[in-house]
Amino acid sequence: MNKEIQVSLSQKDDVSILNIKGDVTATSGEAIEEAYQKVSNAGSKKILFYFDQDGYINSGGIAILIGIASESRKNEQRIRITGLSAHFQKIFNMVGLTKYTEIFLTEELALKDF
Amino acid sequence: MMADNKVELHIPSVMGYEKIAMECAASMAKKMGFTEDRIEDLKTAVAEACLNAIEHGNKMDNSTKVGITLTVEESKLQVSVKDQGKGIDQILTPRIENKIEGKDQSRGWGIFLIKSLVNEVSFEPSPGGGNVTKMIIYLEKQIGKDG
Repeated sequence: MNKEIQVSLSQKDDVSILNIKGDVTATSGEAIEEAYQKVSNAGSKKILFYFDQDGYINSGGIAILIGIASESRKNEQRIRITGLSAHFQKIFNMVGLTKYTEIFLTEELALKDF
Repeated sequence: MMADNKVELHIPSVMGYEKIAMECAASMAKKMGFTEDRIEDLKTAVAEACLNAIEHGNKMDNSTKVGITLTVEESKLQVSVKDQGKGIDQILTPRIENKIEGKDQSRGWGIFLIKSLVNEVSFEPSPGGGNVTKMIIYLEKQIGKDG
């Protein structure tokens, strides 16, 4: 029923980019966690989450992202986010994720001065 | 099933089926003339209410269903989500600081989101057993009960 998630990794200078397509839920979020662990283990300190504008994100998916935000603090990493619809930008702000991550309207803006 | 102003549907207690209820509510809200941003708010609230019913109410028991009733009135849409469970023990307000510091589990945002996104919400035992989450979203009123 949920759109299968696809997470691909790319690198731009010293920024690791997680391209996330599909629904972000408690179960599909494991793929995001795995991708995060992979770049984290490789020593990345700057990570950009690039979401699908049309994707569905529920509270289970938000919890996964909060878990990653928590871990990124311990690992002294910076997390930026782009690609979110206006609605999910609002939701991320409501739950407080914007205290621990930064949201940008475009990839270009997210990569600038990262 | 549909009366003049009412649509009812039943979904299995399986994760992912909440999207059917979500899309149904969105279609009705669009027909009523809700703005795009309010439709998005409604979609998230309905999805989260269904997820609570599936996961916490019906414990993902395949033999149970979640019932959703959408009632259209002149200036509002009411959505009731009914499960067959025992109810919510307590409703805690989540704090991201506690979750980030590992003091609380990172989950537990569903009810917070519902309360934040609709105009009125109640969580009650249903007369016939189970629990019902009733949500109301007004056609023209903006979020925020303080006006």
